[in-house]
Amino acid sequence: MKKLALAGMLAVGLTGCSSEEPQVLNLYNWSEYMPQEVLDRFTEETGIQVVYTTYDSNEAMYARLKLLDDSAAYDLAVPSTYYVSKMRQEDLLLPIDRSKIEGFDNLDPELVNLDIDPENKFSVPYLWGTTGLAVDTADIEGEPVTAWEDLWEDRFDGRVMLTNDMREVFHVGLRVLGYSGNSTNPDEIEAAYEKLSELMPSVRTFNSDAPRMPYLEGETDVGMIWNGEAVMGKDTMESLEYVYPEEGIIAWLDSFVIPKNAKNPEAAHQFISFVLQPEISALISEEIGYATPNLASRDLLPDEVANNRASYPNATDMINAEFQTDIGDDALQVYAKYWEMLKSGR
Amino acid sequence: MHSVMQQPFKTAVLILVWGWLLFLVLAPNLLVVGASVMTRDPVSFLSLPLNLDAYRQLFDPLYLEVFLHSLYMAAMTTLVCLLIGYPFAWALSKVGKQRQLILIFLLIVPFWTNSLVRTYALKLILATNGLLNSALMSIGLIDEPLQLLYTEGAVIIGLVYLLLPFMILPLYSVFEDLKQELLLASHDLGAGRFSTFVHVIVPLTLPGVLAGVMLVLLPAMGLFFVPDILGGSRNLLVGNVIKNQFLDARNWPFGAAASIVLTVTMAFLMFAHRLSKRRIGEEGA
Repeated sequence: MKKLALAGMLAVGLTGCSSEEPQVLNLYNWSEYMPQEVLDRFTEETGIQVVYTTYDSNEAMYARLKLLDDSAAYDLAVPSTYYVSKMRQEDLLLPIDRSKIEGFDNLDPELVNLDIDPENKFSVPYLWGTTGLAVDTADIEGEPVTAWEDLWEDRFDGRVMLTNDMREVFHVGLRVLGYSGNSTNPDEIEAAYEKLSELMPSVRTFNSDAPRMPYLEGETDVGMIWNGEAVMGKDTMESLEYVYPEEGIIAWLDSFVIPKNAKNPEAAHQFISFVLQPEISALISEEIGYATPNLASRDLLPDEVANNRASYPNATDMINAEFQTDIGDDALQVYAKYWEMLKSGR
Repeated sequence: MHSVMQQPFKTAVLILVWGWLLFLVLAPNLLVVGASVMTRDPVSFLSLPLNLDAYRQLFDPLYLEVFLHSLYMAAMTTLVCLLIGYPFAWALSKVGKQRQLILIFLLIVPFWTNSLVRTYALKLILATNGLLNSALMSIGLIDEPLQLLYTEGAVIIGLVYLLLPFMILPLYSVFEDLKQELLLASHDLGAGRFSTFVHVIVPLTLPGVLAGVMLVLLPAMGLFFVPDILGGSRNLLVGNVIKNQFLDARNWPFGAAASIVLTVTMAFLMFAHRLSKRRIGEEGA
């Protein structure tokens, strides 16, 4: 909060001489999910200052938005797939006025009008990505890693990293057993827990702040990673490979939404339009390694980005891929209990 | 004795203190108690009817195991703090006034930096290619880097680092009050160094030990960011369970009940502390 206040003060300070009250956009986003250049250019173009705050889990973002009163509102947030439907159903979002959004038609028709928000009344897709396998090929000898199942091999003892995300970790356990990653069946979830607890002695750490870091720091050599993190990590460490596991990748779509108590929905609309410009979408995808749903920007991408399989998977890579869906509260409690058991297990 | 000026000042101070206690201590705690007896609700977090389900859930073997492991790590932390803090505080009370000030100042300086930032700094030291491993390898003590980070040991090191001053300060104050005459008397009556230590110094410094233990043990079970950063989100503390229940599982009544158990444990320790103090006081009289 202190940081936020400081940024706010700074923003006020910078435009202190103008007679008009400076406009501010409070953007609440995943950590490392927006290049600073985009924010700077938006401010330059519109005069609206951006106060940028980050989170590292949907849960944290959701709890914060749910509890905040009007005094500390965010104007724009970026929930993942099933959180859009959850927040929409709980009446936490303002409808998006399509007449104020330019460039919506640029979006991939396959990524709009999804079940999470049938007519995109409340959300506009920002980026999409996958959670797959990371392998540090410099430190791994023997057979190449091709499946989630391979993580259970003895040779990876103490070298595995998982994301610190309950749903994703159970997704892996469920897929290895041949179940859906969105299972709500308590027996299947328990079986996944049993399977995952066999993996636990090999697991060195959970990380969702910046999942590439344990690989770069040399703490872990194999495990889960988000594709954008893998792309960013490869810039620093050439041997870090992103692998599409045979059992199927975890896919997600993050969308812009405007929270109910937003103070400046006008600026939020402006920002969404700004990001939908092909040039800006391309810049974001190139910079942080996730795939843009903005089809008009694909042609602007440099070849090495557009042909990077980690960012833009081909049809074969997406076989067995599953999007996460809302599993409902009862199943959530089952997951939560086994998650706690998994992490406290010796 | 009372001057006219004193009365309004006294009233103002009392109002401030009571107001503080009522609004910033009692009210939040009552809210937590209230939350712990409500029913969890997926949409509005809490709902009626009132019940004790959350407390019943605490007896789930899983949470008992987390609690015991958390207690074990906190106890190890406390022990290490005591082993370092006791001689330190003793030595601190022996050095000259000038040096004492400097040492206490040095003890307090780290508090000027946020503990989260200091924990990240510790991570850089303990990492596989971190400062400690590089140093050990460059002087040839080890060939392969040690796995220090993301272990139980790393969590305990982090907790000791953050909580040591809370052990030293109360110990220092009892050593300051330790009357030289009593030690001389013990010596005159024929007690050796060891005997004096066990029969005179330890009992007289016991209230400080207990105060230090109280200030270290309970917070050690709650500092959830230490296992998150240094333990690789494993080796969970009770604090992590509370945080997970509020954030991930959205089971507020259970999270509240768990934090009340911590508060009650703390109250129990304070009660024991008072008892021991009174007992020692009576013996001294």
